[in-house]
Formats: sequence, C-alpha cells, structure tokens
Amino acid sequence: MKGTHLGEFEELVLLTIAILYDDAYGLSIVDELERQTDRNVMLSSVHKTLVRLEDKGYLKSHVGGATKLRGGRGKRLYQLTQAGITVLNKVKALRDSMWEQVPKIIWQGVGS
Amino acid sequence: MKSNRQPPKWAVRFFLWYCNDHLSDAVLGDLLELYSRRLNTMSKRKADWLFILNVVLFLQPFAMKKRSVANNSNHIAMFRNFIKIAWRNVTNHKMYAAIKIGGFALGIAVCLLIALFVKSELNVDQHYKNGDRIYRVIISSSDPAENWKGTSFPPAAAKVIKENFPEVEKAGRLIAFDGWFDAGSNLFRPAGQEMNMFETRFAYADQELIEMLEIPMVYGNRAYALSAPNSILISKRKADKYFPDQDPVGKTVILNDNESNPYVIGGVMENLRNSHLEGLDFFITLSELEFWEGEQDDWCCNNYSPYIQVRASTNPKELEEKLLKIRDDYIIKQIEAEGDPWAETARKYLALELQPVGDIHLHSKDISDFLVVSDLRIVWLFSAIAVFILLLACINFINLSTAKSANRAKEIGLRKVVGSFRSNLIKQFLTESVFFSAISVLLGTLLAWLAMPYFNLIAGKDLSFPITEWWLAPTLILLTVIIGLLSGLYPSFYLSAFKPIAVLRGTPSQGSKSSFLRSGLVVFQFTTSIVLIVGAFVVYRQMQFILHKKLGFDKEQVVMIHGTNTLKDKLPVFKDELLRLGEVAHAAVSSYLPIEGTRRNGTSFWKDAPSKTGPGVSGQFWRVDPDFINAMGMKLVEGRTFSNDIASDSAAIVINETMAKGLGLENPVGQRIMNWNWSTWVVVGVVEDFHFEKMKSKIKALGMARSQWGDIMSVKLNTRDMTNTLASITDVWERFQPNQPIRYTFLDESYARMYDDVKRTGNLFSIFATFGIIVACLGLFGLSAFLVEQRSKEICIRNGLGASIRIIMQLLTLNFLKMVLISVLLAVPVGWYIMNGWLQDFEYRIPVTLDVFALAGLLVVLIAALTVSFESIKAALVNPANKLRSE
Repeated sequence: MKGTHLGEFEELVLLTIAILYDDAYGLSIVDELERQTDRNVMLSSVHKTLVRLEDKGYLKSHVGGATKLRGGRGKRLYQLTQAGITVLNKVKALRDSMWEQVPKIIWQGVGS
Repeated sequence: MKSNRQPPKWAVRFFLWYCNDHLSDAVLGDLLELYSRRLNTMSKRKADWLFILNVVLFLQPFAMKKRSVANNSNHIAMFRNFIKIAWRNVTNHKMYAAIKIGGFALGIAVCLLIALFVKSELNVDQHYKNGDRIYRVIISSSDPAENWKGTSFPPAAAKVIKENFPEVEKAGRLIAFDGWFDAGSNLFRPAGQEMNMFETRFAYADQELIEMLEIPMVYGNRAYALSAPNSILISKRKADKYFPDQDPVGKTVILNDNESNPYVIGGVMENLRNSHLEGLDFFITLSELEFWEGEQDDWCCNNYSPYIQVRASTNPKELEEKLLKIRDDYIIKQIEAEGDPWAETARKYLALELQPVGDIHLHSKDISDFLVVSDLRIVWLFSAIAVFILLLACINFINLSTAKSANRAKEIGLRKVVGSFRSNLIKQFLTESVFFSAISVLLGTLLAWLAMPYFNLIAGKDLSFPITEWWLAPTLILLTVIIGLLSGLYPSFYLSAFKPIAVLRGTPSQGSKSSFLRSGLVVFQFTTSIVLIVGAFVVYRQMQFILHKKLGFDKEQVVMIHGTNTLKDKLPVFKDELLRLGEVAHAAVSSYLPIEGTRRNGTSFWKDAPSKTGPGVSGQFWRVDPDFINAMGMKLVEGRTFSNDIASDSAAIVINETMAKGLGLENPVGQRIMNWNWSTWVVVGVVEDFHFEKMKSKIKALGMARSQWGDIMSVKLNTRDMTNTLASITDVWERFQPNQPIRYTFLDESYARMYDDVKRTGNLFSIFATFGIIVACLGLFGLSAFLVEQRSKEICIRNGLGASIRIIMQLLTLNFLKMVLISVLLAVPVGWYIMNGWLQDFEYRIPVTLDVFALAGLLVVLIAALTVSFESIKAALVNPANKLRSE
C-alpha cells in the first residue's frame, strides 16, 4: 500500500504544508485545514498523517521554534520533499486530465 | 499561579510514557499550545478534560514506543532456560519430583472436590428471579425457659397474611412431613393398572408456592399445574418410570388403592436440584382441600408451612412487626379460646419472622421443619479442611525445596558469578514452582474428575465435574499461579540468598541443617493430620455408641411389613395368619414406630382437672396394637398394657416415664390424664423410656392408646433363619394382596439408616484424615531420605567403626519422632475443642476421652516411624566400603 497513492486527507495535508511554507507544524496545519475546509480536524489524525507522509518520503522535518507557550517544547516543522511536490503535481495533472474528458453537457445543468 | 495554567501532570506523564521519541516533544508542544489557547476561551476544568481526551486519542500505534523485539526474545529464552533446568531437576531426582508433584496433586484434588461441594451447597435456592423477596414464615418463641422456632401454622395463616397486608404479593403453603395423610410415602399406580408401587417423597403444596419457587416444568404449565383440586405434580424421573416417552398431563393416578379419591397429573417438573425441596418427587395440590370438615378455618392445628413473596421495596423487618397482628388476632385468640393460660406467656414471647428463601438450606439448624437441610458449619468445616490439606501440600513443596537446596547451591553460585541478579534467581525459582504447580493442578484435576463418582457416593451428593463451565479454566489457571507463587516464595528467597563464594568453595550450606522453620512446618502438618484422625475416631465412636446403646426397645429380629393399611378390614386376619407361623413370636400393627420416617404427631397432655393449666406436657400420642409393647421388647415399669379383650381399655393409655415425671404423677397407674381435645384417658401402665427420636434430642413424653389399624406390621421373630421365615411371610402376604409386592425392612437397619449423616461425616473425616496423613508422610519421607543422603558418608564411617543398626536408626529418626510427638501434644487441645463442639449436637453422647488422642497419636507415630526408618535402614545396611570407595 505504500505506493504513490495519495488519500484525500493526505493530499489536503500536503497542500496545507505547501501553503504554510516555513511554519508548517502540527497545530498550525490543523488551524489552516479547519480554516480552509471548514471541517473539524483532529490533532491526532493530522499527526498520524504526517508520520505516514514522512514514511512515504513526501515530507521531511526538523525540530525548531520552541516557545514558552509550548512549555519549552520544540515544533516539528514539516517541508515538502521533491517527491512530495512531484506527487502533488501528478495528482493535479490527473485531475485536470479527467476534468478535460468530462463531456461539456454535464456542466450545462441537466434539465430536470 | 503558573501551576494553575498547567494541564494535569499525570496526563502529561502518561503521554510521555507511551509516546515515542520522534513525536513526543513536538506533539506535546502542540498539545500544550492548544491547551493554553483553550484556557482563554473556556474553564480550566473543561480544558483539562479536552487535554486528557487528546492524550487518550493519541494512544495509537503510530505514536507508541516500539518495544524492542530483541529484548523480548531474550525474556522468552530465559524462561525457556528456567523451565529446561526445572525439567532436568525433575528427571535427575525423580523421587523428589514425584513426592512434590504427587503430594501437590493429591492436595489439589481434595481441595477441588471440596470446593465443588461447598459451591453446590452455597448455590441452593439462589437462582430465583425474585429470590430476595421470597420468605418462609417462621414462628418463634423467645421464652428463656423454652425457646424454639418452627414453621408450622394453621391452614388459614397464609391466606390471612396475604389478605391483611398489601405488601404481600403471593402466599403459598407446603406440608412436607411424612405421615400427614398422603405426604411422605404412598402406594402409587396409574389408573387402569393393577400393580401398586411404593413411592416416597410426597408433599402437599399450593399452586402459588410452585410459582414462587419457579419449579421448572417439563410438561404442563406452571401457572396452573396445581390449581385444579386433586391435581398432582410429579417429577421427570417418576414420569419416565410410569409413563415412559409420553406426556402424562391429564392422566389419572391412584394412591393407596383409594379409587374414590383419584389424582390427576397437572404437570411434570424437572427433577428438583439446587432447591431445599430437592428431596421431593410429588406435589399434591392443597387447592380446595380439607383434611376434615371445617379444617381450613380452624386455628387449632399447626400443620402448614407458609411462604410469601413480598412486593419490591418492602422492608422485611417492618413486615415482621406488622405480622404481630396475626399473632394477636388469631394465634393467641385461639390459645385463649382453648382456655389455656399459656396465652399470657405467648403474647410476651411469640413472634413471626421471615426467613429469606436462600437461607433455608444452610441456616435452619435451630428451626424445626421437616425438610432435609444442611448445616452451615459443615460447609465451614469442609472449607477449612480443604485449605488445610492444600497448605499441607504447599508445605511439602517448601520443605523439600529448601532441604534440597544443597544440590542447587552450586548452580546458584555459578549463576551469580556469571552476573545473575538476585531478582533473576527469585524469578527462576518462582517460575520453577509455578511449573510444578501447573503439572500438579493438571494431575489433581484429573484425579478429582476420576474420584467424583466415589465422592458423590460418600458425601451423598449428586455433583458433576464442571468441565463445560466457562469459569473452570480461568479458575484453574489462577489456582496454578497462586499456589505456585505461594509455595515458591519462601524457597526462592531462601535459595537466592546464597553467597556465591561460600557455596563454590564448598562450605556446607545451611540447607542441610534442620532449620527451625522446616521443623515447624512438619509439626504443623502432623498436628493437622492428628486432628483429622481424632475427628474420624470420635465420629466412629459416637456412631458405635448410637448403634449399641440400650434403646428401651429391642430392634433385633424385627421385620416391618409396610403398607398394611391397604389390607383394610382384612388386617386383623392377616395378623392372625402371621401369628400362626411358628417363627413369629409377636406381631403388632401401628403407624407409629420408634424410627424416623414413621408417623408422628405433636400434642399436649394435662393432668385431669376442670380446666387446662399451663401449656401442658408436650409429647406424642401414638395409636398402637396391644401387642406393640411386646413386639418391640419394651419394658413395663408399672401396670400393664391395654388389651383387646377389655372393653374399657378403649380409653386406656400407657405412658412413658418422662410423661409420668412431666405430669408429676406419683402413682401413675389409675390416674386420669387429658389430651388437647379434652378427651380423658386412664393410665394403665408406665413403660420405660425408649428412644423414638434421634439421639440429638432428649426423650420426650409419650402416650400410647389402643388401635388395631396402621401402616406397618412389626413382626418379632424367634428364629435366626431369615430366608425361610421371610419366604413364608411373603406367602401369607401374597394370599391377601396379590397385586402389591410385599415390602419389608428390618427394624435395626432402618434404625441405623437414621444416622446415615453421622456415618457419612465419619467416612469423610476418615478420608480426609487419610489424605492428610499421606501428604504429610510423603513430605516426611522426602525429608528423611534427603537427610540420609546428606549424612551417608557419616553413617558409613560410623558403620565402619562399629555402630549398630539400632544406634544409626536412633541417630536418623529421633529428630523426626520428636517433631511428631510435639504434634501430638498440640493436637490434643485443638481436636478436643472441635470434636466436643460437634458432639454438642447430641443429647446422648460419648465423652471425648484421652485414649482417643493416645490412639491417634500412636497411629501417627507408628506411621511416621515407618516412613522415616525405611530410608534409615537402607542407609544402615549399605556396605560402608562401597560407599566410601567411590571417592
């Protein structure tokens, strides 16, 4: 299963990390996801996904940015790897290509 | 201030405990950030809760520490090694292993059997849906002069209780005492068949009673099985006997050839188990039944035992208070109506109590009912014995393990030298003992399973091994671990404490010396065994005392022919025919006999006076044949017995000495006495007191009056040739009653059967004593064998220097015998206390004398001496040259 396949939530997380650029860590990703998608996101499921994506090689991480607010604990900051960028592009290309193939008539409001 | 802004410490600690290093810092940081953010918008309490929730939600495989696989396999390898070494020890020292495991297995088997027995005793009547609301009504007198508890009430009591108190939901009555009309035993046959069969275990019951007690049904409906008049409920085993493979509901059956009063089967119940009514096979309905005219509304006679079911949330104590109204309005009114001045006392002391149905089986010792109940003390006693025997087995293990420590000393030393911690060694020996206990539990379970049928036979129980029950396996595993740890604890600490240098250098370890603790344990084992043996002896002696005591009647060579009531008016002729046989000395017909299971009644007698004074002398009033006193070999102290030839003897009575004393009659013969219903009787004779109840109670007052009828013909024989005599009696019977097989018993056997429970207790004591002594001796044997082995060189040298066998024996056995002697001394007070307590049950009993202890002690000393000397002699007989040359 550890192929190149990307789940929907994984894709969203990758995109969020891309958006956040240099401040992508657990909680900020949750915040951004909630803001963008307007759905309730669990911290634990985000972390789980991050671990998996890192295993797949789409992400790399380093520790930094400890603050008093965090009880002196550092953040694990995530960045997209080249593979991560490639896979996002691939997904987008696939989507675009499939969108192209949908007959226009579909979009013209099937009369009902 | 700052600490206030922190989430619960334990949650943080928990998180750090399970979370792996890769994530722990980052995630905890996130969590804390989230927490502090939350604190701004909500209460700390809620934030704490959400924090805990987050921590719990993170408890997923991706976040958890990876347990090192390599570490794991190391543990397994170590345990494997422990077990391997344990197994090598077993095979190297087969005898010790056999003693260890065999003793353990025996102890566990006994323990298991007793546990199953105790469990079944405790389970009786615990399964009713409304069990906590069902009570048996009891009448009690707290009169210091005579306090008693009984279950017998007048017929209308149950109805009145139900009508007067709305909290009583159901009320049903039971009559279960033998001899009350058709309760007890009867001749039984399905209508349309000719042959009568003798059946026991009949009782009367109300429809509501069988509903309350949830009698399980095979055929018919419990809701109306007994609601129709003259219906009868029979058990499955009886249905299978008379109506195999069919539904007998609606079929008619005849009792005692009484065709005018047939019964209709209203239902078939499962054979009753786990119920205090377990002994019953037939329930005859009480619906619309009147034993004589006006009986149901008469408050004169107490024959019914009421059970009630109260509504939920009724306080039984409050209801008991309210029930005093029944006492005042009905029971005392009746006593007053009879002109009995006892009413005042009764008002002061009588009370009605409610006994929970679950208590009937084990808590009815002081209540006179007519049911077969057990005794809580027996349950306790057995549990104690089980625990003790298990302890004995554990002690063997401890003793042998510590004694054999010398053999393990080098292993322990080496393990320590190569770097084993003490904790590892403790672990090793605990593993070893759990390993031993596992084998023993397996063996013990097998043994218990095999022994179950024999145990049932001896204990008079119907237990089965719960192989299919879900709780068996977990219980056994738990037992294994507990026993293993318990018996391994001391040896493991003891053995692991060895100093490697001392051990490896060859200094003799402490194991070879007789440790104080080890002696103490041996003493404990033998004390327990001796107490058990004393118990067995005392019970046996009491039984002998019961069987051979002068009873006041002669129970030898008396045949009782049952069911003579079915001969009806041919009965006198039958008696004459019997008397014509040369072998028959006397024949007497009566329903009352001085053994259990024959008819009884309860009544009171007064001196003849214008009005009854006081409660009178309570006693039995028997109707017997004029020849009864002769046939029973009773002795008249004064006067004569009544005769059929004297017309006025219809009002004659023969009383026993207790009655004469109770009524204060100086010259009883010729005096007039009164019965409860004002009938007066003339005393014509006084008979020597004879035992007509169990030895557990004092001989009570008794009066006997003339009758020609009864259920049982007692035939006194003047020959020892039983076979031919019985054949000729059977011939006579068959001439009179061809459709009914003759049924006879011997008076002495029936008498002995009354004390089956005593005999059973004795048997159980003997068996437990045997097991106790076997286990203890196994241990002793192991210990002595070991000691001999330790000192084998010393013995050889002594031998070589000219010591005689006697001296060597002395050397080796004296120490053990000293321990056994100490045990005897310790066992005397303990055994005396326990057995004296047991004997208090009997009004007529033997004293616990010292010779019992002497005998038990001697027996144990002998067995112990034999056990010990076996190895000693072997050692003493060895040619010293062979042994010494080996090094």
